[in-house]
Amino acid sequence: MQTSLQIKNLQLFRQNELLLRLNEQVNGGEILTLMGPSGSGKSSLLNWLTGALPTGFTAEGEVWLNNNNITQVPAHLRHVGVLYQDALLFSHLSVAGNIAFAMPAGNKKQRLEKIEDALEQLGLKGLADRHTDNLSGGQQARVALLRVLLSEPKAILLDEPFSKLDSQLREDTRALVFEQIRYHQLPALMVTHDHSDAKAAGGKVITLNKTE
Amino acid sequence: MTVTNKVQVNQTQGVNHSTDWFTRVATFSPKFLLLLLIVPVFGGLIGVLLPAFGWAPALNQYSVGLQGFNALWQTLGLTQMISLSIATGLISTVLAFVITLMILAAFFNSVWLDRIQQILSPILVIPHAAAAIAVGFLIAPSGMVSRLFSPWLIGWELAPHGIFPHDPYGISIMLGLTLKELPFLLLMALGALAQPELGKKLRQQHKVALNLGYCPITAFFKVVLPSLYPLLRLPLLAVLAYASSSVEMPLILGPNTPPTLAVAIMQWFNDVDLNLRIKASAGALLQLALTGGLLVLWLLGEKTVKYLFCESLTNGKREYGGTYWQIITAIVTTLVIVFIALALVGLVLWSVAGFWRFPATLPDSFTLIHWQSAVMQIGEPLFNSLLIGIITTLLAIALTLLCLEYEQIKGKLLSRFTSLIIYIPLLVPSIAFLFGLVWIQQLITVQVSFISYINVIIAHLLFVLPYVFLSLASSYRQLDPRFAIVAASLGTKPSKVFFKVKLPQLFVPILIASALGLAISFGQYLPTLLAGGGRISTITTEAIALANGASRRTSAVYALMQMLLPLIGFILAWVLPKFIYKAARR
Amino acid sequence: MHNIKCWQALTRYCFCSVAFCVCINLFSTVLFNTAFAYSVEPQNDISQISEINLKEHWQQIEKKGRNQNVYFHAWGGDPQINAYIQWVAQQVKAQYQITLHHVKLSDTSEAVSRVLAEKSANNHNQGNVDLVWINGANFATMAQHSLLLKGWADKQPNFIYTDSEHNPAVTLDFGVPTQGMESPWGQASLTFYYDQLASNNPPRSLYELLRWSKKNPGRFSYPKPPDFLGMSFLKYALVVLHQQNSLLAQNQLYSQATAQNTEQTLKPLWAFLDELHPNLWRKGKHFIQSGVEMRRLVDDTELSLAFTFSAPEVPAAVKRYDLPYSIRSYAMDDGSLSNTHFVAIPYNASHQQGAQLVANFLLSPKAQAYKQQADIWGDRSVLISSTLNSEQQALFKTQKPHPSALPFNSIKSTLSEPHPSWVEAITQGWQTRYGVTP
Repeated sequence: MQTSLQIKNLQLFRQNELLLRLNEQVNGGEILTLMGPSGSGKSSLLNWLTGALPTGFTAEGEVWLNNNNITQVPAHLRHVGVLYQDALLFSHLSVAGNIAFAMPAGNKKQRLEKIEDALEQLGLKGLADRHTDNLSGGQQARVALLRVLLSEPKAILLDEPFSKLDSQLREDTRALVFEQIRYHQLPALMVTHDHSDAKAAGGKVITLNKTE
Repeated sequence: MTVTNKVQVNQTQGVNHSTDWFTRVATFSPKFLLLLLIVPVFGGLIGVLLPAFGWAPALNQYSVGLQGFNALWQTLGLTQMISLSIATGLISTVLAFVITLMILAAFFNSVWLDRIQQILSPILVIPHAAAAIAVGFLIAPSGMVSRLFSPWLIGWELAPHGIFPHDPYGISIMLGLTLKELPFLLLMALGALAQPELGKKLRQQHKVALNLGYCPITAFFKVVLPSLYPLLRLPLLAVLAYASSSVEMPLILGPNTPPTLAVAIMQWFNDVDLNLRIKASAGALLQLALTGGLLVLWLLGEKTVKYLFCESLTNGKREYGGTYWQIITAIVTTLVIVFIALALVGLVLWSVAGFWRFPATLPDSFTLIHWQSAVMQIGEPLFNSLLIGIITTLLAIALTLLCLEYEQIKGKLLSRFTSLIIYIPLLVPSIAFLFGLVWIQQLITVQVSFISYINVIIAHLLFVLPYVFLSLASSYRQLDPRFAIVAASLGTKPSKVFFKVKLPQLFVPILIASALGLAISFGQYLPTLLAGGGRISTITTEAIALANGASRRTSAVYALMQMLLPLIGFILAWVLPKFIYKAARR
Repeated sequence: MHNIKCWQALTRYCFCSVAFCVCINLFSTVLFNTAFAYSVEPQNDISQISEINLKEHWQQIEKKGRNQNVYFHAWGGDPQINAYIQWVAQQVKAQYQITLHHVKLSDTSEAVSRVLAEKSANNHNQGNVDLVWINGANFATMAQHSLLLKGWADKQPNFIYTDSEHNPAVTLDFGVPTQGMESPWGQASLTFYYDQLASNNPPRSLYELLRWSKKNPGRFSYPKPPDFLGMSFLKYALVVLHQQNSLLAQNQLYSQATAQNTEQTLKPLWAFLDELHPNLWRKGKHFIQSGVEMRRLVDDTELSLAFTFSAPEVPAAVKRYDLPYSIRSYAMDDGSLSNTHFVAIPYNASHQQGAQLVANFLLSPKAQAYKQQADIWGDRSVLISSTLNSEQQALFKTQKPHPSALPFNSIKSTLSEPHPSWVEAITQGWQTRYGVTP
């Protein structure tokens, strides 16, 4: 089945002032890139999509995920994964703990095996029991990616995910993330400042203007 | 509040004359702080330790032995006293903690959390005695609750036979303590979450957990709590220590056949039969062991819970009946708030009530004579409360700021030992060392007319310092160090950096800490009574002397006055900055 | 600007001096006191002064006592009494420039403990307590430990108005001779009061009380001993229960309680309480903490019957709305327990002369008459009217009583207080039997 994320006739307001207008569809494996200056409503859009629009903002319009209207569904039931610029790993859990936390409940042994496999695939073999604070920036980014992917999301949002990484690491991590998105056939929406991100994504690019 | 600034400003003047004066004072301050806390607390403990083992020159007893403990073991109902102390202390702490967690979990990242905090935080400043009086009014057989349902529903014409307050199981005490400690814990938790770094990180992690499909309550327990708990440990232990050894609540709400251990100890100390003091001292040591045991038990419990639930943190289960818990929490929170509101309404009504026979819901007539007669007698106690409160708070703030500045000069945090000692007065049951402290103070009495004021201020300082420190430390440590570095690079002296750069940035936290210090000082009962030799009457000692059992109307007036004083402090701390900033902007 | 600087300098000095005093208090004096404490001995016995010098002696006291600060430690649980003490403070201020501080106690034993602690700390002449309101067991304890100034009370000029030769009530405190250690202040009798709307027929004797409480379960109780008022009720019961017994048995109550006589003497009391308790408030499993709490429970309509040692408290409470209008006072037919209360001066009081001037004023016809007025305090005078001149007698004339007040002359017979040692015996026995709810 073709997966898709649809944003239907969205109008986003801050204190009754129109921030942005959007009507888009992203299919599985595609990456829609949003660019624009700060204050143009990018972050608010992501917040709306995850179901956590802060007070002071209002939105009209609908969001559909795989032909289900999830506009009124609470955040934790949406199955929309997010990657932030900070890895935001849980410091009270180990690397494996962070990933296990994200996975659906189930047989303990199978889950552990799956974690081992996934770590190995991303070149993190043997780091399962490490404390997250002791990882390098690139390793943290990869653990964060694994955490999102293994939570089995139906769509993925990228909130300037590579902006804190230095350039070589940035390209590697970006390639890895995009490859995984395509591999899992997830609809993805990326917010970024960086034109090279947009270029690498290879999908449609929308540039937002700051509203006056 | 403005006084605070003036004292600090005048220290600046002093600094101008001798260049390194400030740094030396700051370096000495942690040692002075330690001395100020260790001498009274440990001196006081020795002052009960010696009599407990029979050495009491006061009673011409110089033989060392165990007769005090023998007398203690033979006390009838000792087991009941101990179990009552343990049960009320432990259950009320657990309840307050659980409700705090439920509120945090259910309303995390929601506007309701702030609203609940706003409603509950005034309770923080209500002294325990006043809170106990208010709770007693509500749950008594003739209290507001049964008046609301009588006689139309239940048909009571005379007050029914009830068991509250003073029920033998200590339920009333637990209720009072829980309601009083809940806002404290909640505020401590919110205070921790208000730290910019940690708060932001935890909120984001909570959001990540939501995106990963966790229901908000589960996300709180699995993601936020493990990082938040270490910051709540100390307040929790303080609450537990207080709850297991306090005197005011059990005295006003507890049973007396037998009472809790702490109340019994106080009664033995005050008994006409002076030989009971040996037994009382032994009892104080038992109280110390009991509270210490509870603290250890709590830490063990913490370890057990961590061990048991370590696995389930990562089992991937996202939902534990969250919707039901959400509803239950909403109900519990509403009940708590309604309960408190009713208690306060009852208090206000009683303070202006004429005749008000059960089961009437409202008084037959209203009168101001209770307020008038209270106001006529309130001059001296009010003056004493303010004088002692302000001096104590100023000392506490000055000392705290100097110690925190010392940290920054030294470039590292206070030693673990020092930080532990700061909280010692909160963790050692006050009944265990105050009596010894009084004995020591009498030993070294100087004949100065205001000596009892100094004694009271020292005793108050023991309880004010920890809270002021707790409230100022995080803001001070989070000051952006770059301001100081920039100022220093421009050739500014350390003292000037402190007074001209740091303190102005800390204006609001200092005001809040001052209000807190004043509130704590206003509420002190045992320290004022004992250290002041009964000569110094404050609003609180008056309230308890008059209100413990006396007319509801007078009690209500004094309880309200006890609440009003600290409330005014907090309102000032809240309004002043806005006012001043507004003026500055113009 | 100059002003501000001055002010700042001033605060700086204040700050420094406070800090300095703190240090002094903590350290230097430890050395000082431990070094010299043992050389100071009490030297306050003035009982040897001869009769001729009495007048001169009093003039000395008036001279020294002027302008002193007198700390009067007195139970502070009753607003009316507190207001009366305020009035006394104004009077002695005007007369002697004495500043009287009322140190409000919730229990007199607090003052006893304080003096004792001072003695143990070798503080023999700088005590905190100058004057203390006291009687009964507290007095017995202080006398036993030699904590009181001796032989001063009977040398006060106003003491002659008590006619002490023919009035043992002012020289005996619960049967213990006061030896000039206490000056009488007032007299009290155990008075009962009830809520007319709740119960029309209050019990008129101890035996009726038993029957009444069976008919009205949970509507009566008494404060938990050793509370003064609760103890008074138990003593009333004890004395009444022995009324039918031989004189020998009755005399036991007025002599020292010993290991031999205690069990036999208290037996009827325990039998009576065993029968009474199941019908008390909270089924006798929890007891009231104090007399004032008992009054509040009457106001709450939880209790319908209560008692007090200060009869005028009842109408005063009704006027303050602290008791319902339907309250009526009465005295028991089988007798009212009566006693005298006193003021005493600790041996180490800092301001002994000022305290004596205050005590003497308390004993003056003016102060006693004012105190006896129903709407002031209503406490019975200890003066004998035959010793007063007509002008002084006129001060004592009465006004129309409040409906809830004790009707004039309703005390039919008075019962004397048993020996103070019985307080301890009763407390112990009570504690063993009823102190712990099983």
